[in-house]
Amino acid sequence: MKTKFDVAVIGAGIMGLSTAYYLLKEGYKVVLLEKNEIGSGASGACDDMILLQSKKPGISLEMSLESLEMYRALSKELNTDIQFETRGGMIVIEDQEQLRVMEDFVSNQKKYGLEVEIIDKKDVFKKQPHITEKIIASTYSTKDSQVNPFCVMKGFLAKGIDLGLDIKRNICIKEIVPRKDYWKIILQDDHYIEAEKIVNTSGAWAAKIGDMIGIDIPITPKKGQICVTEQIPQLGETNVWSAEYMVAKMNPELIKNQNPLFKELGIGFAFSQAIHGNYLIGSTRENVGFNKETNYEALKLLVNQAIKFFPILNNVHIIRSFAGFRPASLDGKPIVGEVSERKGFYIAAGHEGDGIALVPITGKLMADLISKKHIYYDMEELNIQRFNKKEEVEKSKAISV
Amino acid sequence: MTAVLKLGIEVLKMKEDIICRCEEITEQEIIEAIKNGATNVNEVKRWTRAGMGLCQGRTCRRLIERILARETKTSLEEITPSTYRQPVRPVKIGILKDEKE
Repeated sequence: MKTKFDVAVIGAGIMGLSTAYYLLKEGYKVVLLEKNEIGSGASGACDDMILLQSKKPGISLEMSLESLEMYRALSKELNTDIQFETRGGMIVIEDQEQLRVMEDFVSNQKKYGLEVEIIDKKDVFKKQPHITEKIIASTYSTKDSQVNPFCVMKGFLAKGIDLGLDIKRNICIKEIVPRKDYWKIILQDDHYIEAEKIVNTSGAWAAKIGDMIGIDIPITPKKGQICVTEQIPQLGETNVWSAEYMVAKMNPELIKNQNPLFKELGIGFAFSQAIHGNYLIGSTRENVGFNKETNYEALKLLVNQAIKFFPILNNVHIIRSFAGFRPASLDGKPIVGEVSERKGFYIAAGHEGDGIALVPITGKLMADLISKKHIYYDMEELNIQRFNKKEEVEKSKAISV
Repeated sequence: MTAVLKLGIEVLKMKEDIICRCEEITEQEIIEAIKNGATNVNEVKRWTRAGMGLCQGRTCRRLIERILARETKTSLEEITPSTYRQPVRPVKIGILKDEKE
């Protein structure tokens, strides 16, 4: 067993695979460590969206825009069809109050270079002939796209292995010990791995890895339940979200639905068609720890949202439900960067529902950070350090509406 | 032998039996996924879509478990079965409609 590496990446979800790939491309010797199977966490239990419209104006949106351009080139680069497709997206608006919020949001996003507009009811029906009469307007962007996360992972893995990736699955880390200028990772079977640097890409489990080196990583699991329909023809030009979904994502306290369960489950309507024709009806955002069950109450609320917006779905079957843990950081932004008081220990986690969109850019940024290249973004904004200043956290929460 | 004939023989040699009828996934594709490292039914499903169709693996999951056992030379009891999720069978969304709304 090979034991010495430049970088050990912990967590073989889509983020870990991306990080490993971009590091290998820079010529590093990389080992990827996984507790279960590849993509067995959130990466295998999410939707397929590169949804730019849901990104907060600012660094998250800027990174998503660059990430989208990287995705466009990725099928060719990885020599794997990642099933990239651009259908555009719409966030449908039900009342005047939502309209005001979305107008604000859209004008902010435009400042950061996203092509997005508000369209009136007549134009909404042209694009979504099956949508309910009750909506009053919608946002519309031609940019929102999708990929198949399984194919992306397959591509990174195959290309990574070509570049010399060492991958160890079904392993359990017992201890992480700092040495003078490297880390010693002791496994359950007392084998060990030595690496100059560690990147923690373990998503919702990132805090557990942090515990091993005595740091507090403010990332918790948020459960997202999703229903899958049978394969049906495309219902409208684009995938669809509700303005309420944006509220649930950005500021759950403002959810107005009278049903207390609705609020507790953090329900927002997300409706996207996967490449094989199944629609995914999402989603909840629940703080219930690592409980991965799907339950009848949530699924019922989700499908009722769906028929509220698209009455035609009454006649469609659901065939499956699933749940994944979105790694939610305290302020809704990912944590990407080195931990200053633990030199050589990096984090790339906490992307919550933005993971798929941010995959290529996060992997690339990690590789650039480790090889000390010039980076365009202000990485301080994503560094874990930001949580040390408590008042900053409160402030960012307040602005994030 | 002409190239076309050679190709024809290769195709015949492949295990073309369809294992997942909903998604039309062949035994060969499943064996390929196992060769690429899949060790349980969930992994085979993720890499090939076998079991992701209308019946959600009700027909094929047992077959896939057997192929896994055979190809990885493991006993059937040691193969981790796939995750079971509701609904047990396809349900028309209209049935779940909340009349109050």
